[in-house]
Amino acid sequence: MPERYDAVIIGGGHNGLISAAYLARAGLRTLVLERRHVLGGAAVTEEIVPGFRFSVASYVVSLLRPEVIRELDLPRHGLEILPLDGTLTPVRPGEGPASGGGDYLWRVNDHGRTVRELRRWSLADAEAYEEYGQLMVEMARFIKPILGIIPPDPTANDPRGLMPVASLLRSFQQLPQRQQAVFVQLMTMSATDFLRQWFVTDPLIATMSASGIIGTYLGIQSPGTAYVLLHHYMGEIDGAFRAWGIPRGGTGGISYAIASAAQALGAEIRTEAPVARINLKGDRATGVVLESGEEIEAAHVLSSADAKVTFLDLLEPGTLPPEFEAEIRRFKFRGSSGKVNLAVDRLPDFTCLPGYGEHLRGAISFSPSVDDMERAYDDAKYGHWSRRPYVDMIIPTLVDPAMAPPGKHVISCFVQYAPYKLDPSLGTWDDNREAFGDAVIDRIAEFAPNIRDIIVGRQVLTPLDIERTMGLTEGNIFQGELTLEQLFFNRPVPGYARFRTPLRNLWLSGSSTHPGGGIMGANGRLAAIELLRSLGRKAA
Amino acid sequence: MTPTNGSYDAIVIGGGHNALVTAAYLGKAGRRVLVLEQREVVGGLLETIELAPGARVPRYAHTVGRLRPAVVRELGLKARGLSLAAPAVRVFAPQADGRAIVLRADVAETAAGLRAWSEADAEAYAGFDRLVRALGGFMSSLAEATPPDVAGPSLGDAIAGLRLGRRFRGLGTLDGRTILRVLPMPVADFVAESLETDALQAAIAWRGVRYAAMGPWSAGTTAHLLADAAGNDGGAAGETVVAIGGPGALVNALALAARGAGAEVRTGARVVAVTSRDGAVTGVTLESGEQIEAPIVVGGIDPKHLLVDLADPVAVGPQLRWRAGNIRTPGVTAKVNLVLKKLPVFPAAGGDESLLRGRILLAEGIDPIERAFDAAKYGQISQTPILEAMIPSLLDPSLVEGAPAGTQVMSVIVQYAPRNLRDTDWDAQRDALGDRVVERLGSVAPGIAKLVKAREVLTPLDLEREHGLAGGHPLHGEPALDSWFAWRPLLGHARYRMPLAGLYLCGSGAHPGGGVTGGPGQNAAREILADSRSRRR
Repeated sequence: MPERYDAVIIGGGHNGLISAAYLARAGLRTLVLERRHVLGGAAVTEEIVPGFRFSVASYVVSLLRPEVIRELDLPRHGLEILPLDGTLTPVRPGEGPASGGGDYLWRVNDHGRTVRELRRWSLADAEAYEEYGQLMVEMARFIKPILGIIPPDPTANDPRGLMPVASLLRSFQQLPQRQQAVFVQLMTMSATDFLRQWFVTDPLIATMSASGIIGTYLGIQSPGTAYVLLHHYMGEIDGAFRAWGIPRGGTGGISYAIASAAQALGAEIRTEAPVARINLKGDRATGVVLESGEEIEAAHVLSSADAKVTFLDLLEPGTLPPEFEAEIRRFKFRGSSGKVNLAVDRLPDFTCLPGYGEHLRGAISFSPSVDDMERAYDDAKYGHWSRRPYVDMIIPTLVDPAMAPPGKHVISCFVQYAPYKLDPSLGTWDDNREAFGDAVIDRIAEFAPNIRDIIVGRQVLTPLDIERTMGLTEGNIFQGELTLEQLFFNRPVPGYARFRTPLRNLWLSGSSTHPGGGIMGANGRLAAIELLRSLGRKAA
Repeated sequence: MTPTNGSYDAIVIGGGHNALVTAAYLGKAGRRVLVLEQREVVGGLLETIELAPGARVPRYAHTVGRLRPAVVRELGLKARGLSLAAPAVRVFAPQADGRAIVLRADVAETAAGLRAWSEADAEAYAGFDRLVRALGGFMSSLAEATPPDVAGPSLGDAIAGLRLGRRFRGLGTLDGRTILRVLPMPVADFVAESLETDALQAAIAWRGVRYAAMGPWSAGTTAHLLADAAGNDGGAAGETVVAIGGPGALVNALALAARGAGAEVRTGARVVAVTSRDGAVTGVTLESGEQIEAPIVVGGIDPKHLLVDLADPVAVGPQLRWRAGNIRTPGVTAKVNLVLKKLPVFPAAGGDESLLRGRILLAEGIDPIERAFDAAKYGQISQTPILEAMIPSLLDPSLVEGAPAGTQVMSVIVQYAPRNLRDTDWDAQRDALGDRVVERLGSVAPGIAKLVKAREVLTPLDLEREHGLAGGHPLHGEPALDSWFAWRPLLGHARYRMPLAGLYLCGSGAHPGGGVTGGPGQNAAREILADSRSRRR
């Protein structure tokens, strides 16, 4: 006789674990099934080089919802966020106000210092920075509730689903006109066009814009990239808990804190338990079959795997309504990011700011100009990895030394662009992995020439590797592109943005749902709340 | 006799087609209207010029198929000499391999022709055409509406909203979901959802980027395509309609309509300032120093020029002036006009002259359009610009009546050629661009260079200089998602009312945007009259 649960959750990434915690908290008998030997999905810590531990894929937290942290009491389960301070943008010699060995643009949390630094570049920009920051905080305050809303179906006849939108509209109308206009711009413009309204300093625009393209197959001048600029100000308004930094022990630290919370609330978690299929009776999900053949019965199946894996890989063909299946096939993934993890025996030495210093303790953004960023995208558009990519570098060991042997360091390099689909003339990603890794090192060496000499171990993660290892379709780190047509009531497909699926008792709770990807946890929480509501229960 | 000051109800700045439409409607409603055009002729970008003795060519815009039928009817344009002609072939897109994509007015014939390219596309084309028409139909309702007042919707807005809502529901759940999903999409993705042949995708997607500083992979270009398909008989193939006598004939009919309705039209009258007192307009000042008073001033010009250069900065206020200064006007389109000794030979047409009567498109694929766009991002003229050419004299021989027998004229829209060039300027590049365009035409019409008898190259800089268009943008503002509907040109000022009492916008910078539609002009006149009626009451 197979075991029976109230809810079985496919995938032990952060969203799956969060759903489990909320369901268990409401008294449901809950089981999480993770394919790999480690929990966390893309938020994992692994020892890649002996003695060196890496946040393999996802590497910073910025958006973890404060209500999740609070409601699941994550700090008590070991969550500790170590703040990162500042973003350094090294600039080529001759391209900044300073003469000599290259220049830099260095922004830190200390507003006064940043403004002084900006004055070196442009007095007008230094002045605008203040006004811009203020405006963004106000915008973030307005937009934040959207992340907690269950999206309506605008074509539905039942107006009740539109209520949250109506209240949103009302608060929109209460904004001053200038803020209304800026909000519309944030939703529709390119990051670069948006920023050019305030700034002229090229490396500043390039670096700020870069946050708008993380995980997307878009350039910084592509419409639709401005919105993400807001995310950087979300942390500002969370008061006491500043959710921007790196978790102690790597991003796996978050996953294990959530898992610990879920287990304390009564959820069971099994690793190395890959799900082969979702069982159905008619149009109702009844449980899952593991690859081992083991059957597990459950009243509800929640999948935190992405929409393609859930609907096209885990269900028998022909079980979905054809219209819905067509929409799922249409859902765009288009992974565009890679990751290079380095084990080093010394710190990188930057031409623009030689030696060790505070500047290495934050993010180091290889985004010297708008053109550099745009050309990196141009390569990717035509199926080539960026020859001179955008790299977002972090040296976690400077804030969390336990990640490497004493005196040594790990370096995390998020890289764009690495398009999942390469031009056929290039061969496969297996043929390109090392060349891509070399391109990243070359890019870093432009500004920190000692990089080649300090590397003792290197891991290159291509979108294909991300797909293979983490089960993320086309290596998309957000379980589906965060483009305008794939957001809110269109995520993952129009008419099914409320975590439900065409099959009864089958739910979707991963980043393929509203509000999208990143270590945010809103998806997993909202899906659990919606499931509990269908049972007439509150999320305790 | 020239009326004295105080005798006008409204002054319209600019004599482009939307300005004339507004003037005609205001005149018909009994308002005394004065149109002030800085050039010696009215019509703006709609103009027929004699480029060689007896050979006349559409100077800028060459098709007029999107003209709103209500405007044609209500202003009696047909009776005033407007005569339209539409070829059976809408698009002829010759390819490097000697074949061609042909889009016809007849959907079934188009599909049959596509069979040589792809069975699947031949099957899918009619369905795609239906979808574009359905979504375009909704866009056309949207185009007719005055955008809602976002700050404080009134009862009227609610009713208009309900009307649009009904139109939206009329789409049905499936198309309703589709339009919400596809509007912000890149047009490359939109066409690829239905069609597989790259050359066919490009021939359709081109209309999603025409006149825009965007490539087919830019988000929101589907909205631009669907706006182009809105109303009339666009569909997947798009409109190809010319005015007999060239676009100038449409302008003549509009000017006649305006004058017939009592409007006075002055050319060579350049407005340098909109005067105002206590937040309300009082009239305009001409370059000559002459002041003309009127309680209503309507800008048929682009909104950036109107708000930043002409209106009183104190009255506009620093914040709105800053916003207006940020209206994006990245012009990327040039125009090359040719007089040809005889009809060039296009081998891909296989001697079938009827194929050359539509829009002749050199946009060989999605990536080639995107690559042409890439150049513009870096301030360079594309080496292989996208060309939309027409030989209007095939449809309208009156254009070459006075020229030697066999003469044809060719009108070529050239993209991407950005207004702001790096390391060089347009005065140095004008002829090089002309050469490049003729050379590129030669790739599908060998020997065309030898047929050229006269040539004119109009760059974005020329548009800015001659027509005063900010950034040389023919649409008065980028047709992108950030300048759309309730926020075109600016959120809070999308209802044709500008920030000063009595100041209005009736040009392409207002909803529903650019193109030869008369839409902004008609909508603006409706709002102006509504305001003046409620004031009179």
